[in-house]
Amino acid sequence: MRISASSIPASTAPPSDTVAPASPRSLLGRPRLAGLGPHASDALISALSVLSIIGAWYIGSWTMSERVLPAPHIVAEVLYQAMRSGEIWLDIGITLGRILIAFTIAMTVAATLGFAMGLSHGASVFFRVWIVCFITIPALVIMLTCYMVVGLNDKAAILGAAIPIIPILAINIRDGVKGIDPKLLGMAKAFRASRYQRIFEIVAPQIAPILLASARFGLGLIWKMVLFAELLGRGDGIGYKIEFYYQMFNMKEVLAHALSFLVVMLFIEVAILGTLEKRIFRWRSQ
Amino acid sequence: MSQIVLSNIRKEFGGRRGARSWTALNGVDLSIEVGEIVGILGPSGCGKSTLLNIVAGLDNKYEGQFTIQGKTIEQQIAAGFRVAYVFQEARLLPWKTVRGNVEFALKASQFPVSEWRDRVDRVLELVELTKFAEFYPQQLSGGMQQRASIARAFAIEPDILLMDEPFSALDEMTARHLRQSLLNIWSAFRTTILFVSHNAIEASFLADRIMIMGNGPGGTIREEVSMAGVQRPRSYEDGDLFEKSKAVVNALRNHSGRADLVLA
Ligand SMILES: Nc1ncnc2c1ncn2[C@@H]1O[C@H](COP(=O)(O)OP(=O)(O)OP(=O)(O)O)[C@@H](O)[C@H]1O
Ligand SMILES: [Mg+2]
Repeated sequence: MRISASSIPASTAPPSDTVAPASPRSLLGRPRLAGLGPHASDALISALSVLSIIGAWYIGSWTMSERVLPAPHIVAEVLYQAMRSGEIWLDIGITLGRILIAFTIAMTVAATLGFAMGLSHGASVFFRVWIVCFITIPALVIMLTCYMVVGLNDKAAILGAAIPIIPILAINIRDGVKGIDPKLLGMAKAFRASRYQRIFEIVAPQIAPILLASARFGLGLIWKMVLFAELLGRGDGIGYKIEFYYQMFNMKEVLAHALSFLVVMLFIEVAILGTLEKRIFRWRSQ
Repeated sequence: MSQIVLSNIRKEFGGRRGARSWTALNGVDLSIEVGEIVGILGPSGCGKSTLLNIVAGLDNKYEGQFTIQGKTIEQQIAAGFRVAYVFQEARLLPWKTVRGNVEFALKASQFPVSEWRDRVDRVLELVELTKFAEFYPQQLSGGMQQRASIARAFAIEPDILLMDEPFSALDEMTARHLRQSLLNIWSAFRTTILFVSHNAIEASFLADRIMIMGNGPGGTIREEVSMAGVQRPRSYEDGDLFEKSKAVVNALRNHSGRADLVLA
């Protein structure tokens, strides 16, 4: 096992701990092209967006040698072969499993903390220092500490990936909980709505978009964290494979593995979170 | 015995954690009989909404006594007493349709589900929103939202109906129609009504008594104008009503610290 930080190339540095804009509204504002139906124009813009990314990649690959930045079709071919032979699926499965467990842990803890801080002034003051500390400690240090304390195993990898994003998500959720409209709660109280009604018909519809935005943001962060934790101290998974091929200067494989996960995450984003979003915001899309 | 009795109510906001404190109400005395319609008028910020919140049981951090037929509001609610509130803002749930919003109140008041459809249809007809039952609040104009909020309050057939400037966002004809609907409901159920208004004619048209509040801090009831002399059903063209509304405006002017204003 390699745990030396010096073997980590600069390009795989952990993602910076920035707080995402948690506003769910901004995710929904869809600009429309004049003359086209909303769906047609959305699809057109999405297609243009994908093409522009691939185009930029091609331009980059022409200006550099193929060993540094291979063209998209070469990477796609490598990925296709890896999927055909089936070896990549095991790594995808392993990494995905770690992501899901780490994500569940992070969301649960962050939601608990976020609710506590949003609802209780005491808790908010108490956890403020914790949050600031953990947001400041680099993810790398947290992961190395986890490997040292827990051992070089999956538990440590998962904890190391989950802990760095908990404070960020907790802050997002806290701000959302603070934004619950007290006037609607007052209305429910005036009409003597039951506790059940207050929770499920007043609070939950306001919390759901916050949790969804945090889940989205958290998922985006955590898969990078898991990859990084695998690269640091695991012998399997996509992160390990990327590191392995990087050591062999095989950029085709590095990019193919990264691409495989991009596809998986895109699927989760569009198919699962997108569907959830539509359900939650049915009333807004009318 | 009066139904609603408020005596020597004092309400102070803030003062905690170094925030500045503001005495919104001081020494408010008000007794309301069952089935009476009482209007509250007063300058902006004098504590009208604050007073309504206390009667609604939303605010229990005040000094003084407030009872409903000798018991606390919690005891009365537990015994099946119903209070409805038309807030100054519509306060509709944006994720529910107009129908869903009215049903929310019906559910809260534990009406059987089988009655919901009829009841919602009836009140929406009353406020002329039948065609908009399946619309979401954001698809309605401000006045329509206000009417939906009025429908929600009417739907539960309350014992006490509190209304905070319920018709202020509406054009005069719609407002007249809704005032009439309100009086129809009132004559059918003898609901006690306590409302806030900024419109002297509206208050005179609806109320049995009008309470004039003075400027804050420490807003309180300065003068009472009785409408007992004006026969129901009333008309906006009634000379008596017009005279009374002039008296109300006069009282408002005297107690708002703007006695120098010349009345037209
Ligand atoms: N939550 C609050 N915290 C602090 N002060 C408050 C609060 N609510 C009301 N106040 C103060 O109490 C006073 C009375 O407010 P209230 O809303 O009852 O006025 P109002 O008579 O309903 O006015 P308007 O006619 O403009 O609606 C105001 O001076 C306001 O600043
Ligand atoms: Mg008010």
